[in-house]
Amino acid sequence: MSVRITGIGVVSAIGLSVKENLLSLKTGKSGIGPVQYLDEKRGLLVGEVKASNQELLEYLEIKNKNISRTSQLGLAAARQALGTTGMDASIKTGIISATSVGGMDRSEDFYVDYLSGDHPDYNLLRSHDSGNTTERIAAELGISGYINTLSTACSSGVNAIMLGARLLLNGKLDRVLVGGTDALTKFTINGFRSLMIYDDQWCRPFDESRTGLNLGEGAGFLLLENEKSIALSGNKTLCYVNGWANAADAYHQTASSPDGKGATLAIQKAISLSGIDVKNISYINAHGTGTKNNDLSESVALKNVFGDQIPPFSSTKPFTGHTLAAAGAIESVFSILAITNQLIYPNLNFQNPIEGTGLVPVTSLLTNKPVKAVLSNSFGFGGNNSSIVFSSDN
Amino acid sequence: MFYISAASSITHQPTFKNAGFSASLHELTEDSELISPNYKDYIDAALLRRMSKILRMSVACAKTCLEEAEISQPDSIVVGTGLGCLQDTEKFLGTFLTIEGLLPPTSFIQSTHNTIAGQISLSIGNHGYNMTHTQNTLSFEHALIDSMLLLSEDNDHVLVGAADEYIEILDKIQQDLHLPLSGKLSSGASFFMLSKERSANSLAGISAVETIGLVEDIQTEIQRFLTEQNIRSSDLDMVLFPGFELGTSGIILDYFINNEVEIDRIVDYLQFSGIYPTTSAFAMHYAIDRLGQDENLKNILVCNCLNSKNLGLTLIQSLEA
Repeated sequence: MSVRITGIGVVSAIGLSVKENLLSLKTGKSGIGPVQYLDEKRGLLVGEVKASNQELLEYLEIKNKNISRTSQLGLAAARQALGTTGMDASIKTGIISATSVGGMDRSEDFYVDYLSGDHPDYNLLRSHDSGNTTERIAAELGISGYINTLSTACSSGVNAIMLGARLLLNGKLDRVLVGGTDALTKFTINGFRSLMIYDDQWCRPFDESRTGLNLGEGAGFLLLENEKSIALSGNKTLCYVNGWANAADAYHQTASSPDGKGATLAIQKAISLSGIDVKNISYINAHGTGTKNNDLSESVALKNVFGDQIPPFSSTKPFTGHTLAAAGAIESVFSILAITNQLIYPNLNFQNPIEGTGLVPVTSLLTNKPVKAVLSNSFGFGGNNSSIVFSSDN
Repeated sequence: MFYISAASSITHQPTFKNAGFSASLHELTEDSELISPNYKDYIDAALLRRMSKILRMSVACAKTCLEEAEISQPDSIVVGTGLGCLQDTEKFLGTFLTIEGLLPPTSFIQSTHNTIAGQISLSIGNHGYNMTHTQNTLSFEHALIDSMLLLSEDNDHVLVGAADEYIEILDKIQQDLHLPLSGKLSSGASFFMLSKERSANSLAGISAVETIGLVEDIQTEIQRFLTEQNIRSSDLDMVLFPGFELGTSGIILDYFINNEVEIDRIVDYLQFSGIYPTTSAFAMHYAIDRLGQDENLKNILVCNCLNSKNLGLTLIQSLEA
């Protein structure tokens, strides 16, 4: 199985473009810092995209300003991925975006006024539904036809790529933009606080002292094309998406199973579908949120699949924060950049391995190892586990 | 063609475990309510206490489908929802905006759209593909397309469904935004077992599903869809559509009347389901039920134009004896 990737786009706490993100990854510059744009408790550590809504509106030249931040971030990344590719009536073009909050950034503003009875602006709710988030992006890009949104919490972004690849292989589409987008919201910040897994310090994935995650925001998009589409677009192939899988943990609504069952299944199936030997995975971009539960369960899953031959791995969430539905898409862009630039990124903020697993992630940028195949993991609420494999070969 | 081997709905009509319900439907009145089964028969009491309406409806329908199709584990679970778990979403908004300090997490946990598919997988211990599509009025059609793709890959049985729940604030939103609604806002869940092979349990066939988002010319799209399926409009024994907005509904009515479909074969399903984003799932169950009651019916098209920007087309066919 292989599908061509011909475009990538990313907006995150470490940059508004692919170049900026890559530079931050290379120089070890985290985008997590005290909250500046969202009206939240001072000092709260978040991975915000460094632009206000007004700045984004101007940058994106959006006419209808009744638009969620989620749509704006998504549009920014999707435009980069599409590049100069023009629309053509003979090419069946679709878009699949993933989001967990949709237009909640505006709905929660509405709800404050609604609760206090202070003339709430109901128009803010027009952008609430997740489907609208994607429709707005599609409309700005001139895409009609197959427009879809997935919402499976933190695994959503990978699921969008997976579905796009399947639709292409099945001949339903010739070209598809796939990715995910989520804005930072009070809803999710308070949600993770209520679960007692929001870290007031910098998140420390795979470290024994880890106590939770820092939320981030952003978007990632990939352009997938078949031969027919490439013949017209002339786009160069960056690399391939070769394998993918989604599996349910069926253990608990939020917690991952201690035996890593769902994660193990997803990783195994994705690698198996890719046809790449387990030994030939060069790098793993882990889900690695920094919560006690995820990192332990993911470590167990990695051991289940790779035994004591675990490839170099790291979580890039200490750079971006956990961007929820965008995470899988942003980290897929990072995985592709790892292949095209022959890089393995450091897992920032790591000091001591988790007792019991002893796994040590990569802690400084590696530039001397060949990177041909990368596995990226994304695991979400509801035991929704997804893994995806990219490589330089079809 | 794939085969529908079970169908289960909880709606404002007597749909649940009631084959033949389509013969006794009445237009929803203002005071009509969701007709709920005794959920304790389907869901563990401890779990049930925490579950919102949308979760209860969905898990009960899902379990009924497994029973009726005589399949203990589907290969995949695929759900469509337009607005997701609204009750828990609104509850958590209220919680964190009004409570200082420690917040109870349950409503946050259950607010994500994929809680529905996740709770189904948890309640039956399913480790397969678990997906949630949310494209407002086309969420169910997208779930169907994904499911049919899975069956054409390596799956034998896919549990697919859709659900949306009414909460009171929706009425206020509708009034304030002056949304012209032709009926009552309601709740509903409909689930189906789709199977690769025909069996003794097969109720009907599903031949094709397509979504056209930001549609420009509805009539051309319908014509193209039917042509691709080698079906003439005059072959349609029934067209189900949501009589929601005068303009769009009118275009659809005009098209079929001008193309040899008699007007009494064109049915507005919204009058029976009430209004929620995934009513086309109710329409599919209604189509299956009609096919089961009348052997003269062969081809039924669900023409979903609930949102005038988005068109969903689903072709349901009877199975030859």
